[in-house]
Amino acid sequence: MERHAGSDAKGDCRVTARASDRRTVRVTTKSPELLEPGIRSVCCEVLDALGAERVEIDVEDAGSLDYVLRARVEAAVREVTGTGTDRHGGGDGGVSRRRSSRDRPRRSRLYVPGNHPRLLVGLETHGADCVLIDLEDSVPHGEKRAARILVKHLLSAVAFPEEVWVRINPLDAGGADDLDEVLQGHPHGVCLPKSESADAVQELVRALEARERALGRQPGSTWIMPIVETARGVLRCDEVAAADERVVMLAFGAEDYMRDVGARRTQESLLFARSRIVAAARAAGIQASDTVYGEGADEAGLAVEAAHARDLGFDGKGAIHPRQIAAIHRAFSPTKEELAWAEAIVEAARRAEEEGIGAVSVDGRMVDAPVVERARRWIRYAARLSRGEGD
Amino acid sequence: MRNAVGREIPERIGPRAVRPFAGAFAARPEGDKAPRPQKWAPREEEKVVSSLETAIERCELTDGMTISFHHAFREGDRVVNLVLDACARMGIRDLRICPTALFGVHQPIVGHLESGVVSRIEGSMNGPVGAFISRGEVLREPAVLRSHGGRWRAIEGGDLRIDVAFIAAPQADPYGNATGIRGRSPCGPITFSAVDAQYARRSVVITNDLQPYPVYPMEIQQGWTDVVAVVDEIGDPNAISSGTLQLTNSPTRLLIARRTVEAVRASGYFADGFSFQGGAGGISLAATKLLGDEMERAGIVGSFGMGGGTRILVDLLRRGLIRTILDGQAFDLDAIASLREDAAHQIMDPGMYANYDSRGCATYRLDVAFLGATEVDLDFNVNVNTHSDGLLLHGIGGHQDVAAGARMTVITLPALRGRIPPIVDRVTTVTTPGEVVDVVVTERGIAVNPRREDLRERFVAAGLPVRPLEEIQREADRFIQPIRRPVFGDEIIAAIEWRDGTVIDVVRKVEGFE
Repeated sequence: MERHAGSDAKGDCRVTARASDRRTVRVTTKSPELLEPGIRSVCCEVLDALGAERVEIDVEDAGSLDYVLRARVEAAVREVTGTGTDRHGGGDGGVSRRRSSRDRPRRSRLYVPGNHPRLLVGLETHGADCVLIDLEDSVPHGEKRAARILVKHLLSAVAFPEEVWVRINPLDAGGADDLDEVLQGHPHGVCLPKSESADAVQELVRALEARERALGRQPGSTWIMPIVETARGVLRCDEVAAADERVVMLAFGAEDYMRDVGARRTQESLLFARSRIVAAARAAGIQASDTVYGEGADEAGLAVEAAHARDLGFDGKGAIHPRQIAAIHRAFSPTKEELAWAEAIVEAARRAEEEGIGAVSVDGRMVDAPVVERARRWIRYAARLSRGEGD
Repeated sequence: MRNAVGREIPERIGPRAVRPFAGAFAARPEGDKAPRPQKWAPREEEKVVSSLETAIERCELTDGMTISFHHAFREGDRVVNLVLDACARMGIRDLRICPTALFGVHQPIVGHLESGVVSRIEGSMNGPVGAFISRGEVLREPAVLRSHGGRWRAIEGGDLRIDVAFIAAPQADPYGNATGIRGRSPCGPITFSAVDAQYARRSVVITNDLQPYPVYPMEIQQGWTDVVAVVDEIGDPNAISSGTLQLTNSPTRLLIARRTVEAVRASGYFADGFSFQGGAGGISLAATKLLGDEMERAGIVGSFGMGGGTRILVDLLRRGLIRTILDGQAFDLDAIASLREDAAHQIMDPGMYANYDSRGCATYRLDVAFLGATEVDLDFNVNVNTHSDGLLLHGIGGHQDVAAGARMTVITLPALRGRIPPIVDRVTTVTTPGEVVDVVVTERGIAVNPRREDLRERFVAAGLPVRPLEEIQREADRFIQPIRRPVFGDEIIAAIEWRDGTVIDVVRKVEGFE
């Protein structure tokens, strides 16, 4: 029986594994003199971790980083031996991740397919508030298994300066297997596609909790971002938003939604869904993120759509290419005028409190408590942005 | 002896006494330049011949002589192979070749090295020829690698004496005037050969497009030309843009390009009259494009840009964002068209570009340059010649000339490039010393040479992610196993000259690996 993982694409490697009476590792690479020993040592570490003695592997390297190599070896060998997991991804992979705060800025969520090493390298360098590694729509069925192992190893190897999330498959269609692997790498959160009910969210909560306990982690340490992208989901997004404490943000997926309702994409045709999602998120005290803008190179179009989403109350927007991040951040960061306004209100509130006056007023106009609270939130938010951190 | 970048170099290399590198601007040339050969012509003379063999005979080329070529056709060149094949057929042996650069298309030189037609190389060393001589022992003397400006200086100064210059000329007249920007297969300026044509004992213009007198612009002049050889084909213009000339789509490379432009904007040099040079790599091209957009937004008009010329640089000229382009090479057909049509797009020879032994280099007028690298080390030294396995695979090009000239030299470099680390403790070979490298831009942060505290302060004030190079190196190296390093023997394969003629490093033969 012979099993393969990976490819000969740049940044990847192809690993072939077969049962054998003893362990053999063969390496092919462009610069064998320089690279062969390092590649071999990584392979042996993985085989040790998997307890795989009776297996023979061929590695054809095309410039893969260690975590890619590790993932490909594990994927191929597990197909042959049927057991084991490389717990390098489980804790001693070098990266430990702190829980992020509920209401940290999440202006951008950058989607990247989870099965292409070339696209995953340097993911953490683009400044996205949330990097969102996808195991769902962008990964073909035949590659899901290898992809979830790759994402596990990536999560263990890469320190993300902001948040890293994983979009899993629906729980009954591979999502549970996704969680088994990727939670070992401790992502900040998990995105649930095609969310349509509180039940579905709660099912995910139970699945997360079981695995968090098994991994010895604090239950509740993984956030949830439901993606609302169907007619049913839009109509019931209020219950989705309020389904659990772990839900910190609702995200809108316009492509599937349009297909579902039979709409063409215009600002008008999406207005109902967008406004409903923002209202549901606000009612539950969480954030809302707008759908992606599909024309990667059209900066002007992106700026218009991001400004529109900001006008509607969204906190952020999806990106399909790193080059979209800057425009999205510009659109969803408070402007100088807004910050000045917020500072004036907070200052007035501070004085009112000092002087023991109940009512706050700015420029002779009364300011309600919720407005003061919103102003405080903006100032906290701006401070976080200027520090370049979420927590 | 140890030179000023701490490299151990011998007192002699082959027949030559070595002058050690003493600092980027330490050399003080003295005395006179080398004499040029005396030439004359009768009132009526027929220079045109119809075969390379006849041309070679007329030049009295014999065993052991030195011949030279330009590289304007890049991967599309036919002339180097045609001339060497003709020499082989005529039984000429032991030639020293001095190309301004070599490419993959010149693979057949390997056969001529094996058969003894060619025995020495001075000039560039690209691709298969470099790999071949790095492994073997076929060169009679170590190769000498020089920058574009350094080669011009060496010929004028008499370090490099050429017997016959073979000059591919897309259009020529019967009296020996020639240009590279017109003709059936234009390759861009051929002024790299202008110094060869003046100093070589004989000079042959090789063309596939002979036109009535006079052909212009006269990049090669009648007074220098002994023979005009007419052949069917000299090269493929479409191949001059092969390889590196793609606008990158890689998120990492685009990020580096964007950071580079942000660094330029924050540098203090970004003002009216600003000048810059970018190379032909994907990051440089993207940075040039983004820089143009930034100039447009800021309402800034630059004084000049240098290339080689590309459609991206030409676009900046057409949009009025730079007043002039100074070009010694063309990297695509748009640049060649622009050289023909736009007087603001000027041809420049490598002497004007970068000759150390002169009263002025165009590179000294540069505010900013962005260049690539194979390796950078913690002293900011740059290697573009050898790979990490010790093999000599690339020429110097204009790297030294531009880095030394520009007020701010930026190296654009992915901190992670597969399994082989580009940021190292010590470069395998020093091409360009850290003293003329100011900034290294990576996807993981911007490192500033400690000599440029002024730039560091400006970058920090602009909110750019400035980090020590060592920290960027550590972060990137966490993703890969340490590689084995080559162990070098004593035998020297090539000398790397600094642009002033001193030796900055030598390439030794690889004996094994750690």
